[in-house]
Amino acid sequence: MNGTTGTRDFAPVLAQVKPEAERLIAQYPDSRSALLPILHAFQDVEGWVSPEAMTAAGAMLGLPVSVVESTASFYSLFFRRPVGKYVLQVCRNLSCQLNGAEKIMTHIRERLNIGHLETTHDGLFSYEEVECLAACDRAPCMQVNLDFVYDLTRENVDALLREIMAGTYETPPLRQTAKPAANWHVEQDWAQKSPGARGVSSPNDPGGMGDVSGLRMIERLADGPVVLSGRPTEERLIVEGAARLKHTGSANEH
Amino acid sequence: MPIVKVLTDGIGELNLCDIGVYRSRGGYEQWKHAVTAMRPADVVELVSKSGLRGRGGAGFPTGRKWSFLPNNGRPRYMVCNCDEAEPGTFKDRMLLEETPHQVLEGILIGSYAIGSRHAFMYIRGEFKRGYEIFMQAVAGARAAGFIGEKLFGTGYSLEVTVHRGAGAYICGEETALLNSLEGKRGEPRLKPPFPAIKGLYGEPTVVNNVETLATLPHLLKNGAEWFSSVGPPKSPGFKIVSVSGHVKRAGNFEVPLGTTLRELLELAGGPRDGRKIVAIQPGGGSSACLFEEHLDLAYDFETMAANGTMLGSGAVVFFDDTTDFVKAAHALVRFYAHESCGQCTPCREGGYWLEVTLERLLHGGGLDSDIEMLVKVAHQMTGINLCPLGDSIEPFLASVVKRFEPQFRAYVKPSVAVSA
Repeated sequence: MNGTTGTRDFAPVLAQVKPEAERLIAQYPDSRSALLPILHAFQDVEGWVSPEAMTAAGAMLGLPVSVVESTASFYSLFFRRPVGKYVLQVCRNLSCQLNGAEKIMTHIRERLNIGHLETTHDGLFSYEEVECLAACDRAPCMQVNLDFVYDLTRENVDALLREIMAGTYETPPLRQTAKPAANWHVEQDWAQKSPGARGVSSPNDPGGMGDVSGLRMIERLADGPVVLSGRPTEERLIVEGAARLKHTGSANEH
Repeated sequence: MPIVKVLTDGIGELNLCDIGVYRSRGGYEQWKHAVTAMRPADVVELVSKSGLRGRGGAGFPTGRKWSFLPNNGRPRYMVCNCDEAEPGTFKDRMLLEETPHQVLEGILIGSYAIGSRHAFMYIRGEFKRGYEIFMQAVAGARAAGFIGEKLFGTGYSLEVTVHRGAGAYICGEETALLNSLEGKRGEPRLKPPFPAIKGLYGEPTVVNNVETLATLPHLLKNGAEWFSSVGPPKSPGFKIVSVSGHVKRAGNFEVPLGTTLRELLELAGGPRDGRKIVAIQPGGGSSACLFEEHLDLAYDFETMAANGTMLGSGAVVFFDDTTDFVKAAHALVRFYAHESCGQCTPCREGGYWLEVTLERLLHGGGLDSDIEMLVKVAHQMTGINLCPLGDSIEPFLASVVKRFEPQFRAYVKPSVAVSA
């Protein structure tokens, strides 16, 4: 997996997080509840949620690493790849838009020469356009390493960037234990959520069958009548599946 | 001006994060009073009588929500929902950061009312500072003997756990929040069973909004009558309204329900110079727009519903005559497409296609038929999802397409349009 360092020694990180994790687990009637807080703790130490961290969290809670990864991937604040020392998250939602967020976003993109979900070459800045941050009264706004910055203008953004580059900015940098790549999203997130939408340029022209579920359904109907009425869904799937296997002759192979 | 100071009293003037300051103003006295002098049923009755309705968005009567809990001897949980992320809403963050003890006292009183021994505070992941402030408040209250075993010498014990989310709007939906609190993906659950029957860890659970709970100490102090006598009979009491958009002084304003939209606009300093308001989104990103002719409507649950929209979380966004409603619609549609958890096909696919279609319009590649398609798709994806997220696109989109159709048409490139 991209972003792993392979041979690095994870023991010091683990030693640092373990006592905190134990305290967190004790707070809940069910240990799994501590998953998000434990991942936060790892990210605080490492600057990102590394594969080792996910494996360790799974081991602490008795969860398969696939479950940990699936859960972590749901939440936008867990970086599953290394990010810059300063993560700039600019609000792109309505109230900020009405107050000129677009101008600010363009400005930051041009200044840093990076786009949405990207990191500068020197690993100092990461940039993301995010949804409503609940600071609409001071729009446009952003968070820098989760500290709020309000009433953004080109001028105060420039001043902030200069301070960060000079190392004088008041918000501390994130820990950086691995060199960030040009972007921090893992493969899965690059694909659209919709399988049918992949590689499609126009909503009016599906451009072929991206999603084959419709075809499958037609095929299944053509397989002949399967009596479905009145049965619970699960059973229906089993019956249907069996009928299908029979039809294709593959049932004999198993 | 109809401004009142109840929940917002002292904010901006005093350091209410300091437990000493909070207590010097009568803080935690209602908590002590509840545990030592009231039965849980008394608290429930008081809240029912007051007519308090949930301040998170749905507006469900709080007392009634509590009364659904079964008497089955199982553990019960109180969960405070501070996953504030509805576009335009910023009241809970203010309460969390400026007056955390008031929120905490509300959580404690609510927990006592429903007979819970363990309360959870779910704070949105982005509110890192708020989380730190609240952790300190809990530590302070614990040191002062307001949280823990055998409180005030009674047999009642209560534990409070603060839990930080990690970035997902959908976790504001109560069953998604419970899944997230259980360490799972924040996907909404099929209802019924409702959380009152099977909630956190499968046990009876109440999920209440920050503002709802923060109101409780005041209700106990001043009585149900004090609250229910303010505002219209079916939407009684005060509400913190987050006003933003094209106004001079955006901010949170605590007003009696039933205040008019025009008064809210004036509180926020009115429109920008030389501009006039053409539309109002009165209840967060999920609500339908009202227009300039509606400015004199009373801002309460009933009046908003009667006019085809909703009060929601109390987030009012004003739009003036410079607004590009195609861009505004795009921002909100993109938001819902981004935040869809992906469980339900209509929401996952519908949001995506609407975003793509609007993007195409904005980039000059739109077709004439796109405008009808926007309305049609938004309508088709409504009412057929597990949770209300998929239903949240249609109200705003349909209302602005209807009102500002020429703006949408203007984005259609004549040369691209295909004739039949």
